Amino acid sequence: MREQAEKVIIVRYCEIHLKGKNRGYFEQVFMNNLEKSLSGIRHEIRRPSGRYVIENFDSDRTEEICERVRKVFGVHTLSVGTKVDADLEAIWREIQNIAPESGSFKVETNRADKHFPLNSMQINAEIGGRLLSERPSLRVDVHDPDTILHIDIRENGSALVFEGIVKGAGGMPVGTAGKGMLLLSGGIDSPVAGYMIAKRGMKLECVHFHSYPYTNMQAREKVEELARILADYTGGLVLHVVSVTHIQEEIHKNCPAEMMITLLRRFMMRIAERLCADTGAQCIITGESLGQVASQTIEGMTSSNAVIKHVPVLRPLVGFDKTEIIERAREIGTFETSILPYEDCCTVFLPKHPLIRPKLEKIEVAEAALDVQGLLDEAFSSAEHIAIE
Amino acid sequence: MTMIYLDNAATTRPDSDAVREALYYLEDGFYNPSALYKESFAVHRALEAARKNIISQIADPQKFTLLFTSCGSEADNQALFSCARRGNFVTTEGEHAAIYNAALEIARRGVEVRYAKLDPYGCADEADLLQLVDENTSLVSVIHVGNETGAVNDIANIAKKVKAKNPRAYFHSDGVQAFGKIPFRLTNDIDFYSVSAHKIGGVRGAGALFRNKNKNLFPLIYGGGQEGGLRSGTENTFAIMQFAAATKKKFAALSEDLSRVGILNRRFRQGLDEKIFTVLSGECASPYILSVSAKGLRGEVLQHMIDDCGVVVGTGSACSSKNRYSRVILACGADERTADGVLRISFSSQTTEQECEEAIRVINDCGNRLAERTK
Repeated sequence: MREQAEKVIIVRYCEIHLKGKNRGYFEQVFMNNLEKSLSGIRHEIRRPSGRYVIENFDSDRTEEICERVRKVFGVHTLSVGTKVDADLEAIWREIQNIAPESGSFKVETNRADKHFPLNSMQINAEIGGRLLSERPSLRVDVHDPDTILHIDIRENGSALVFEGIVKGAGGMPVGTAGKGMLLLSGGIDSPVAGYMIAKRGMKLECVHFHSYPYTNMQAREKVEELARILADYTGGLVLHVVSVTHIQEEIHKNCPAEMMITLLRRFMMRIAERLCADTGAQCIITGESLGQVASQTIEGMTSSNAVIKHVPVLRPLVGFDKTEIIERAREIGTFETSILPYEDCCTVFLPKHPLIRPKLEKIEVAEAALDVQGLLDEAFSSAEHIAIE
Repeated sequence: MTMIYLDNAATTRPDSDAVREALYYLEDGFYNPSALYKESFAVHRALEAARKNIISQIADPQKFTLLFTSCGSEADNQALFSCARRGNFVTTEGEHAAIYNAALEIARRGVEVRYAKLDPYGCADEADLLQLVDENTSLVSVIHVGNETGAVNDIANIAKKVKAKNPRAYFHSDGVQAFGKIPFRLTNDIDFYSVSAHKIGGVRGAGALFRNKNKNLFPLIYGGGQEGGLRSGTENTFAIMQFAAATKKKFAALSEDLSRVGILNRRFRQGLDEKIFTVLSGECASPYILSVSAKGLRGEVLQHMIDDCGVVVGTGSACSSKNRYSRVILACGADERTADGVLRISFSSQTTEQECEEAIRVINDCGNRLAERTK
């Protein structure tokens, strides 16, 4: 009798095993995130000891499932395998399907079901021996094999057989480390900054500033697209879109041209902090990298930090080179969208020579020419809040 | 608030009479015109009648035929890739992107491309063009009415001179902004001529390449051999029939529309605030297109403000709005600040005087406000 061989995906998680008493909580959040990532696809997730197994899906959607699951933070690695009866002959048949014809290999068995007649070492030896005699070009190398053939004997009378391990996104399950407010421009850096913080388990909300009519609808659509890409990793997020048009016009009219960006950043930070209070976000996240542009000097950061009273500002890219950031952006899939040629609000009213080392006192004096509270209220009243699934 | 639409060079509202007339081919007469049963044959007959009607508007059906394409760009591409396979290709700096970018591609394939200069209004410099033509020229393509400034090239005359210099060279013209708008007939010196349905009340999805019957083309698309083997793919019968109906209607009113649109165009030239706007289009340009520049302001920002006041205008060419400066406007000799501030106002036969008065008021008001806000 030939039993039905069923495809399964084995998911291993990262640091959750380090957690002590909260482990149950972390695992529950992780499970929920996995489920969410697979919404719309028929599947079941089981949790035998120390890993998750996705089964009962249509095998022609295997790649799609792997692609989605790989993006879930907390996933260390995953493998596509086959579920067979926990029977040596059934296992052997599947091993023949996946074993290479030549090169070095080893067999690695895990035996959760201790009633299985052979122990792990005996299974390794038996299967390895059969392979060696059947495929003369194969040789065993237990230290650094080309191929590892995994056999997992489970308690419920089945066994998983698989080869090959795919790296997952790593990190901690989103939702286990609070919530942050990401300043999302249309550029390359901010999505990467959001990604890195979300990877440590933080839920994200994003705020985007636009200057319509100085910027266009395409620029905004691009930001929504970036938010959608991030949302794939974070299991959805909220995008707040706020107009800073009038703020820029007022700065342009009333303040020294070279202070435009410094002053605008201060407004952005104030709006972000207010959004934090409204949404329960516990920090502001920006994509600033020290010295990358004129406004991202330590003096620039000091002057924008000075308006924030209640939450920390996280700048995960502060020590990164542009090339490193681009590399990350490519990995996470935001680069292509980020380089679309639409202007974001920072390039409108761009001074020829922005201040590189703004002095806080001078900035504050210049800002006194503006009705800061009135402008903030106005910007706030125009805000749109978009839920991105 | 009803929207005032002045971006008709980008596309026009489909003519609803023509849509109604053609709807039969979407719903009941949906048959594949190439099939052999009588229902299909009836559709085939209708298609051939439509072809003949469209041809006869600007050419002698004894001498010219046309093949239906999906759009004007496809027609341009087919003429170019078919005829400019060797030697050199002579064109102008004022071409639509469909010719300009296709020319970049044939240059990559080893054909030399030569560009004739433009005068300040966007017309091709005829003397410059002719001195570029030599015995190795395989194709000359000159846009009939420029899509950015509305500049009209005297293509019958240019074609004649090109043929006098090299009778073996093919002559093509992109007539997308001319067809149904300015009076014109194809002469024997013109071999190929591209047109598009949706600029004259047609729907998107239909265009055509007129062909002098003595001149051959190669296909761009191979397949079932439709359109005499020159353009395979099941015919878009609804779009074609609607195109034919819109063409008939447009040509019936061509001179009447032309003089009416001419009045609207002049009204704009007089009414726009001189402190803000400079007219780029020449006096002899097609009245359907009026290109102006708000030098020092950004055209796109102005466009958004005008849009928010219920008036839609274009900036340069819609196809090139991803590039900061219009290539054609720069080729007219404008500086970058002028090129940055371009608005393209384009009319249709439906545009009313009242709409124009309101639009002039809005555009002036927005121009002044933006100048004030960014001073």
